[in-house]
Amino acid sequence: METKILVKKAKTGDKDALVELIMKEKSNYYKLAFLYLKNKEDSLDAMEDMIVILYENIYKLKKNDSFYSWSKTILVNCCKKIIKQRKKTVSIDSIKEQSYKENYEQRENKILLEKYLSQLGEKYQEVIKLRYFLDLEYKVIAEILKIPLGTVKSRISYGLNKLQAKIGGENIE
Amino acid sequence: MNNIEDMFKDIKKDLDDIDVPNNLENRLNKALEDKVMKKKRKNRLGKIVAVFLVFLLIGFNFDALAFYGKKILGYDNVMNGALKELNDAGKGQIINKSYTFKNGVSVILDGIMIDETQLLAFYTIEDPSGKDMIPRFELKGLVKEYFPEGGYGKYNDERTIIKYIQSFDPPHFYERSLKFNIHLYNEDINETGEIKFKIDRDKAMGHTLKNSINKTIEMERENIHFDSILASPTRTVIKGSIQNIFELAKDVINNDRLRPNNIETKLYANGKEMKYQGGGMSTDHKGITFHKEYDPLPENLKSLKLELVSFSGDHDINKVIDVDINEKEQKIDIIGQGIVINEIDKRNEETLITITTEENTILTKVYLIIDGETVELEETFNNNYKKLKNGEVLHTRTLKFHGVGEKYKLEIKRMTYSKEYNKTIDIPIE
Repeated sequence: METKILVKKAKTGDKDALVELIMKEKSNYYKLAFLYLKNKEDSLDAMEDMIVILYENIYKLKKNDSFYSWSKTILVNCCKKIIKQRKKTVSIDSIKEQSYKENYEQRENKILLEKYLSQLGEKYQEVIKLRYFLDLEYKVIAEILKIPLGTVKSRISYGLNKLQAKIGGENIE
Repeated sequence: MNNIEDMFKDIKKDLDDIDVPNNLENRLNKALEDKVMKKKRKNRLGKIVAVFLVFLLIGFNFDALAFYGKKILGYDNVMNGALKELNDAGKGQIINKSYTFKNGVSVILDGIMIDETQLLAFYTIEDPSGKDMIPRFELKGLVKEYFPEGGYGKYNDERTIIKYIQSFDPPHFYERSLKFNIHLYNEDINETGEIKFKIDRDKAMGHTLKNSINKTIEMERENIHFDSILASPTRTVIKGSIQNIFELAKDVINNDRLRPNNIETKLYANGKEMKYQGGGMSTDHKGITFHKEYDPLPENLKSLKLELVSFSGDHDINKVIDVDINEKEQKIDIIGQGIVINEIDKRNEETLITITTEENTILTKVYLIIDGETVELEETFNNNYKKLKNGEVLHTRTLKFHGVGEKYKLEIKRMTYSKEYNKTIDIPIE
């Protein structure tokens, strides 16, 4: 069913329509939550929190088109809340083993990159992960995080430069 | 930066492999099970009180507002030349309203300036604690939200006050008033403030030149289209496109994508190069589009020329090339880009390949196939740049791969390169 029709239905209180809206993009939502929370249970919790907030506030959504960016902003805020509440950080190592062959050095690189990435400020990490791990456009990141497009770009380039300085390697610019 | 970006891709692969749990739908349904939708509450009393308060505030401040006259004050160090002139001529609209957050941070919307290409908001953030708290902003109209495009500002020496000029899309013609929403969000605070103001359409400026350009410059792989120019008193915007959605879709399907990095253009008005303000590029449902922003055009415009200086992009290549271990200085050609394999060296279970290319050519995704087994690039080192007499710069470096063997093939999946065009087109000014 068309997104717009589903949003309209959800606005009238149709729970199934709302669930269907989320399920249509379930992989995007789940990966976004996973990016922040790094484990399955917390990611599911965050999505539960999100859908309750969406349900109770969807009547405030004026532009039906922006349902997805609106709801993702809320999901990000739910994730941040969970991080704050549980004050626990889990390394991305807990992601399941890759099935294909991979040599030792590449794995080491990855762990190293994780380490350097985690040394960056939270706001730089966030944009870099959204850009490179979820492949989101700058504009989409700006909409989800509700920050100016220019800020997204400058944070990414600042973050990359910092990483580059730490790691070294062939430079594109 | 491709090393890092390649490493990112590895992590991204991990994330891509994650499966969405099967019980997600169940959990979502359960979460909603006993929830009841809130109804809009009509709080008329609240509204009356708010209107009354606004009335009081504006009523008492009206004289003070009028006193400041017609210039937006305090931005001399932040404005560029053109903006300063416009401000001196009284083209800005004074707002001078503020919002103070619970933690003492306050935002003052000093004024706005509107023309056909943008709305500029001039605001001051005062943070007595000096913690560099930068709120997020958006402008809310009747239905549309206008997100910030870009901006710049300056701190005072104590870093407690910042004066900022932020650009937004120009408001639609039907907007009478706008809300300036300010979100302050960090560990201690999560608060949204609002400054509402009326647009003074008498102050709004239109455009000085609006034309379609509709010219195409042929490039090696794609054509670059310059679509339109819109010049206003605050800036000049040129829009163009590289691929429409069908071309983009075709390339994605064929696994033959082009990711543009940089399109360098220069704009000449009456033979003089205009100052570049900024630009952007996006890939979305419209295909690949870009825009370039320059300073406003001079008044007595006689000629306008646009030069495509160079284009650099990351191309899907997907080519496998046989290389001979014993031959030195092997030359290979990939879509017109020469790559010289200077030397292949086997050392301690590692293969070192030294290559030379033009300065801006980079193998962004390269593998070595050793006796049929694909090996990823481990690192690049020994970077050397050599400038030739004709100004060209050659880049020599060594790529390190793990493992040795007898038969080598180089697999180039992606490559970035830049090409100079130096082609000029005339822009109609009538």
